[in-house]
Amino acid sequence: MGKLEGRVAAITGGTRSIGRGMAEAFLREGAKVVVNGRDAAKGAQAIAEMGGGDNIAFFAGDATKQSTAEGIVDFAVERFGQLDIMCLNSGGVMHTAPVAMMSDEEWQLEMDWNLNSVFWGMRKSLQHMLPRGYGRIIVTSSVEGKGGKPGLPGYNATKHAVLGLTKAAAKETGTTGVTVNAILPGLIETDIVRETGPESAKMMGLESYDAMIDLFAAESAIKKPNTVEQVAAVAVLLASEAARNFTGCMFPVDGGSLPY
Amino acid sequence: MGELDGRVAVISGGTRGIGRAIAEAYLRDGAKVVVSGRDQAKGEGAIAEMNAGDNAMFVAADSAVREDCERLIAETVARYGRIDILVNNAGGSKDNAPVAQLTDEAMDWALKVNLWSTFWCSRAALQHMIPQQWGRIINISSTEGKVGKPGIAIYVTAKHAVNGLTKSMAQEVGTLGITVNALCPGAIETDMMKTDGPPAAEAMGITYEALLDWFAQESAIKRLNDVEDVAIVASLLASDAGAGITGSLISIDGGSAPY
Repeated sequence: MGKLEGRVAAITGGTRSIGRGMAEAFLREGAKVVVNGRDAAKGAQAIAEMGGGDNIAFFAGDATKQSTAEGIVDFAVERFGQLDIMCLNSGGVMHTAPVAMMSDEEWQLEMDWNLNSVFWGMRKSLQHMLPRGYGRIIVTSSVEGKGGKPGLPGYNATKHAVLGLTKAAAKETGTTGVTVNAILPGLIETDIVRETGPESAKMMGLESYDAMIDLFAAESAIKKPNTVEQVAAVAVLLASEAARNFTGCMFPVDGGSLPY
Repeated sequence: MGELDGRVAVISGGTRGIGRAIAEAYLRDGAKVVVSGRDQAKGEGAIAEMNAGDNAMFVAADSAVREDCERLIAETVARYGRIDILVNNAGGSKDNAPVAQLTDEAMDWALKVNLWSTFWCSRAALQHMIPQQWGRIINISSTEGKVGKPGIAIYVTAKHAVNGLTKSMAQEVGTLGITVNALCPGAIETDMMKTDGPPAAEAMGITYEALLDWFAQESAIKRLNDVEDVAIVASLLASDAGAGITGSLISIDGGSAPY
């Protein structure tokens, strides 16, 4: 028996990187899973690779949009009859810059992608979960939700903000059977980081992409990046029924980077 | 195949309460487990109840005594050949009082059983973990390791200190395959809480029921935690997937601590 037998999970993002790791772990634990991405062809390929058969479905949509963050909830309920676990996972930066050079467009994109989509998806999930008296909401924040780095002002601001949202929602729902928690991963060399990392590194005042990886590794105790599997293991724990008393928790998976 | 097949774990004060729940979880996950306690008869009773045959052993040891802590680690290695996981679970406080009325003896015992025991057991265990380049140290702290309540300053002080020791050790051994974390549970109504809670409440100027209610009310879940909450995180940290989590002070308090 898996830990998530009979449960339905939705993951914004989820065709690759951290979300993909969560999706694969949830499938192994017996859940039905909805993953999301912009590209229908890539989505079809990802779910074929994951091999979940009828237990996995793809919802196409841009995770920075309200229609996606809300639509994935409706889609999961329609497809699998309910939604028990909502992973508000998608996030990142496109063209980050120091505050003095930050464009309104990038700022707005990061707000929508990292914060507003979490709010939209959380609100919609709660409207489904609260009447059922059961739910697990898991927000992917970041080590940058507590720390700060030059050149990542929007990312730092939004990843901090989702922790505030997580704590408030946890207090609101603490006696309802719904839990709301955040995971704070350190740097993981995902596809997304490989794509946007070189430009981010430049904006952080670093010589190269490798220097950015080294910066994150150096501030950890383990002196190396984290892995998708490490985050997925925590997500399984928080998604399980056994975690009923965990809420408002900020769970670090950062190799000892954060001071608190 | 369990996640902890082939691993050897030591849990100080593991005959009941939180430590017992962790011991049972580790046994289910396939580890060999050594628990300690002061009372030989109770310890042997606990081992019999856990029904794990040769996979569990009791060592009579007082965690407030250095020689006992060091002997606990030594006897573990003598019996099972190694030590992979150390859960510094023994702890508590006696003769709580507001600082203005606090005795030296009460402060000293609280520091011995919470802080010094963690230091002594960890130092001894690291002698084995560092050469094998694998280890998990899990310190059972408390939500009171992050915040503070009046009247239990000895406990609050000792648990804060354990959290500091946790962070420092994590940085020291971070590249050696060893993780060091602290778990910070909210109030749990264990046997020890039932025994030590009423006098602690008295020191705080409230009833025992009011003390438990205080913990429940400051949480989001409005109820106490239970020992299983701590055990599931202890299992995760001990597993291979726990390799990326170190130096963390993980709240297991139903949403009480602000950070």
